[in-house]
Amino acid sequence: MSVETHAQSHHEHPDVVGSRNRLGLILLLVADISFALAVLFVYFYLKGQNVNDMWLPKASDTQDATVPVSSMGAWYVTIIAALGLLFHRYGLAGAKARNQTQLVLGSGVAFVASLAALIYQGIQMNNAPFTITMGAYASCYYLIAGLNMVHLFLTVFVSLGNWNRSRLGIYSADHWHVEIVKVWWTWMTISSLLGAFALSFT
Amino acid sequence: MTTMMDRPAATPGHSAPKKALIERLNIFTAFALGIIGAIVFYYVAKAILPANTDGSYIKSNNDQYVIFSMIGWFIGFMTGIGALIGPFRWLLGKDLNHDENMFYAGKDQGVKRYFRYTTDHKVVGIQYLVLTMIIFFVGGVLAMLIRTNLGHAGGGWLQPQTYNAIVGTHGIIMIVGTIIMITGPFGNFIMPIMIGARDMAFPRLNALSLWLIIAAVPCILSSFFLGGISTGWVAYNPLASQAPAGMDGYIMFICIFALSTMVAGANITTTVIKMRAKGMTWNRTPIFIYGVVASVALALPAFPVFFLSQVMSGMDRAAGSTFYNTMGGGSGWLYENLFWIMGHPEVYVILIPGVAALMEMAPVFTRRPLFSFNLAIMGIAGISGLSILVWAHHMYTTGWAPLLNGPFMLTTELISIPTGLLFLVLIGTLWRGRLWMTMPTASIYALLWNFMIGGITGIYLSDVPVDGALHGSMYVTAHFHYTLMGAGLTGALASLVYWFPKMTGRMFDKTLSWIGFWFVQIGFNIAFISMFFVGLAGQPRRVEAYAAMFSRGNMITTGGAYLIMAGMLVLLYGVISSWTGGVKAPMNPWFAKTLEWSVPNPVPLENFDVLPVVTSDAYGYGKAQS
Repeated sequence: MSVETHAQSHHEHPDVVGSRNRLGLILLLVADISFALAVLFVYFYLKGQNVNDMWLPKASDTQDATVPVSSMGAWYVTIIAALGLLFHRYGLAGAKARNQTQLVLGSGVAFVASLAALIYQGIQMNNAPFTITMGAYASCYYLIAGLNMVHLFLTVFVSLGNWNRSRLGIYSADHWHVEIVKVWWTWMTISSLLGAFALSFT
Repeated sequence: MTTMMDRPAATPGHSAPKKALIERLNIFTAFALGIIGAIVFYYVAKAILPANTDGSYIKSNNDQYVIFSMIGWFIGFMTGIGALIGPFRWLLGKDLNHDENMFYAGKDQGVKRYFRYTTDHKVVGIQYLVLTMIIFFVGGVLAMLIRTNLGHAGGGWLQPQTYNAIVGTHGIIMIVGTIIMITGPFGNFIMPIMIGARDMAFPRLNALSLWLIIAAVPCILSSFFLGGISTGWVAYNPLASQAPAGMDGYIMFICIFALSTMVAGANITTTVIKMRAKGMTWNRTPIFIYGVVASVALALPAFPVFFLSQVMSGMDRAAGSTFYNTMGGGSGWLYENLFWIMGHPEVYVILIPGVAALMEMAPVFTRRPLFSFNLAIMGIAGISGLSILVWAHHMYTTGWAPLLNGPFMLTTELISIPTGLLFLVLIGTLWRGRLWMTMPTASIYALLWNFMIGGITGIYLSDVPVDGALHGSMYVTAHFHYTLMGAGLTGALASLVYWFPKMTGRMFDKTLSWIGFWFVQIGFNIAFISMFFVGLAGQPRRVEAYAAMFSRGNMITTGGAYLIMAGMLVLLYGVISSWTGGVKAPMNPWFAKTLEWSVPNPVPLENFDVLPVVTSDAYGYGKAQS
């Protein structure tokens, strides 16, 4: 059992802490990447199997035919996310150059982009011309869009914190937090792109 | 938000200052907020969700309410324990200060720190140890119910549906218990000290991984009151889609547990890669560390797939999606693939740390270097790599991709090669060693025996024609108990006795450790060898009544199970009595050379006053005299 001691605090260099945090996030992303790839597997597996011809069910007495949505909506979300990533990188460049205005501006616009992407993704799900019960494609569509929603929600949280901390001048001394947020933004954009790519094949 | 730093100090004659938020939260607030969350979400779901009139195939309002309630429980519980304080303080730009971090580390809190979101890895290790014992206790009681029921041929005193629920819950609870039984208690308490670190890389994530599991446990236990898990631990769909609402408890349990494994995997791996002591090169890193890292690194990509399979199962049940429902274009094979992509690596997630722990102990109790350290690493790496390529051997009889049966048979049989390397390392270390016969030493022999039987019967089962005859029989049940319990649990019990002095400051009662060991090992072999025979004769798994021809075998198995129970109770008594009144342990009772034995008992808050510098490997006990 541990003893309660008044141990001295042991400060580490920010670069050491940053490097450790970066690896930690990348390892967490391994799990998220595995999840996202499994989602794509589900999509293409069910599409390839087309069990009972119910990937896109035809019209019946009780139900309209399932018409796939255009993948353009998913690509637009990805484009907004990519813009957010670019602005985040712009802010990061400002942090590296110790340009507080650039950092706040970049992280602020990135936050707005993440919020816009989240809202737009929500509108798309709401306006889909089918419900989740209408066949395997519909189920997969909501799964992919739902995953993107979760990613975007996390991005809103992270980018809001990043902007707020930038505004408060917390990153004036070191900026490894901003670097790590960039890693998340990059993966989130790639994930969104993979989803849009999959939905392009109906 | 009030912080500890800025609140006024108490002065004589005045009331105590108001407590800061992080000081108010503990397991009681967690349970209180969890229950409130579950009730609120239940009524919100009832109010806003429309009645199920859209003609979906499986969806039911009942499942929606149950899942919503459990989500409410989860959010409430995690809020109540204080898991959200860190992220929101980050968001607000008010990072935790030194005093608050020390509070989180459990400084000056005595026993209370074990009931809080404490970040000190040693506290988390102890919490994991107690949690693991509780999980095993519940799973063990269920096992005894199963065996007692099967003691009589014509069916016992349990209703078939109740029996199924007990079998399913026993299965999944024991799987989770065995997954965390080494990486949880010993990976957390011992591993950071062993590599010469002051704590884990991410102490708050460490606490998070533990409290996620504690949040998950009530979900699985609640399933008993919601119709049970009637599908076995694998929860195959579309059967699971039609199961009672107890299945929702299983789904939430797995989803939350998967989050825990991801967090723990990233944390442990980062700690080992980034925080090893100066001079601790990979060649000087103890083999136990390799075992722990291999286990969590394997879980890192595997468990998200399981997570997804359960998310989709929940969506089918509560939202009416059709992932697994063939009437709506879904596929049962899809579930089986996703499940076993996790399910087979998970076997090695359980096994590898147990074997690695015994490889760590072998040099200590033979006073010899580990035989071929590199071979051991190759074995662990080979098993880890191949384990992700064998999942479909569980699906030979399903008819999925018959052309792949051959390749999957080959990869499965190939895995016996790296497994054999681990046997060679253990035997090579024991060979002509000067044995110090302790319970952990005997456990090495027990592991070799049990794992040999579990491994060889596994090769039979990987063979397509043999599997066709034995699939779904008690033979399979006996096989995986030999690997997970006979090898994995044996390693865990030895770890408990070996590291008990460092974790508690007391020696584990020697006599009780021996009595427990022999009861468990003899009972285990009686129970499961006999189970092989009834399996070979054709007794199927997961049935509560069987033909009279299997009576004798089942009677013997039940008798063996009672011996195991007796042994486990002796060990439990040993833990309690040794912890509370055992002989005080010296700093290094085993005269071992790894770093955890170089720190005093009890281990100080940040382990080392001055970080150690490693100049040699941990196995320099000299060569055996031949």
